[in-house]
Amino acid sequence: MTESNTPINKMDDLQFRRSIYADPSSLDEDIIAAQDADPAKKQLAHDLRLFDEKLKQAMNVPVPDDLCDKLLLRQTLASHQQEKRKSRVHLALAASVAIIAGLVVNYLQFSSTYTNLGDYALAHVYHEDFHNDDSNRVNLTTLNNKMTTFNASFTDSLGELISADYCRFDGMKSLHLVFQGLTDTVAVFVIPKEDHLTFTDKFSDSKLQGESIGFKDTDIIVVADKNESIASWQRNIKDKISWSNN
Amino acid sequence: MKIFGKKKSTAQVLTIEPSKNSGSMATKQVRYEALVKALHSDLYRYAYWLTHDKQVSEDLVQETFLRAWRALDSLKDEKAAKSWLITILRRENARRFERKRFDMSEYEEETVMDTQSTSTEQVIENQWLRDKIAQLPPEYSEPLVLQVLGGYSGDDIANMLNLNKNTVMTRLFRARNQLKDALEKEPEKMKFFHEL
Repeated sequence: MTESNTPINKMDDLQFRRSIYADPSSLDEDIIAAQDADPAKKQLAHDLRLFDEKLKQAMNVPVPDDLCDKLLLRQTLASHQQEKRKSRVHLALAASVAIIAGLVVNYLQFSSTYTNLGDYALAHVYHEDFHNDDSNRVNLTTLNNKMTTFNASFTDSLGELISADYCRFDGMKSLHLVFQGLTDTVAVFVIPKEDHLTFTDKFSDSKLQGESIGFKDTDIIVVADKNESIASWQRNIKDKISWSNN
Repeated sequence: MKIFGKKKSTAQVLTIEPSKNSGSMATKQVRYEALVKALHSDLYRYAYWLTHDKQVSEDLVQETFLRAWRALDSLKDEKAAKSWLITILRRENARRFERKRFDMSEYEEETVMDTQSTSTEQVIENQWLRDKIAQLPPEYSEPLVLQVLGGYSGDDIANMLNLNKNTVMTRLFRARNQLKDALEKEPEKMKFFHEL
């Protein structure tokens, strides 16, 4: 044995010791070669591997039997909660949509889409799906009963009255009278005066024409087709209406 | 004796490799259940050696798997499932430390019990070794548990613990060295280890 080998061997011992302690099952070629060359090293490696077996055995602490079930249950509950949260969100969304829909309907129904009496009166007449197949005619007494709402009455019949119904005239409670005219029906609206609709004296479109007369608290609008003389209707109304409070 | 079944676990998990539509709820459920069944023991033992407390370990494992469930879609490589779970568990443990730094109980020896069917001598020996492992500084015991129990290489451990490999190897050396020293200080214990 040469002297120069000794320090290298000593360093190898130390290195080997460090390496084998760090990883007794090392498959590193140098480590395996060192073990093959030196029975003491082989023994140390063997002892350490046995020791590792002991360690492993000691580290294998018992696992609670029910842990697996607990984990699966907990997850099931958690995702159930998640689903519930999701459906709550959906419910909240649905509720919001319903509320908004309600507001929109309310707005459309009661808000002033039209800015003047004439436009609204025309729209109302067009909208009215009126069936003139009803043979019952409204008599003057019935009409005047309804007119009491507006503190007014008619002294005489204005013509053949097909229907007299309260309706919503742009959100206001009004009386909608339908008379038989020359060629078609004539609509007469009795409406309370309102600020939000601009009073329009005369109005018309391609089919219909109309005229409003303003009384003290009430406007009366006549809408009819172009064959009708609105002016004579207006005169007729003016002559026959009487106000109970003026 | 229970064998720490790394290879078996991995194989089991591999059979439920995600299909093309890994997003579907049913597939996710199946993957999750397989993960729990294959890896909950490993995770629990790892948590135990991290915390030395059975109840805390159970809580940690529960929290870990719950987080794993939420993030399951991000687990692409089933082979990496165990180290992925260990990473989550370590993070959860760190959180726990931040939360209750003050009411952390001391290491309680009575919580370490052995109910495994081993001989009386082995019971005593295991008990003694568990105490010694528990007394190691955590920076030594953690890589040791990962190596001995988890079967991870020095490189794997370095990755998981965010350390360089030399540091890991040094800590592993010191961990075993300290355990051996402890063994040599109690000559009557030496008997057990040399008889075998």
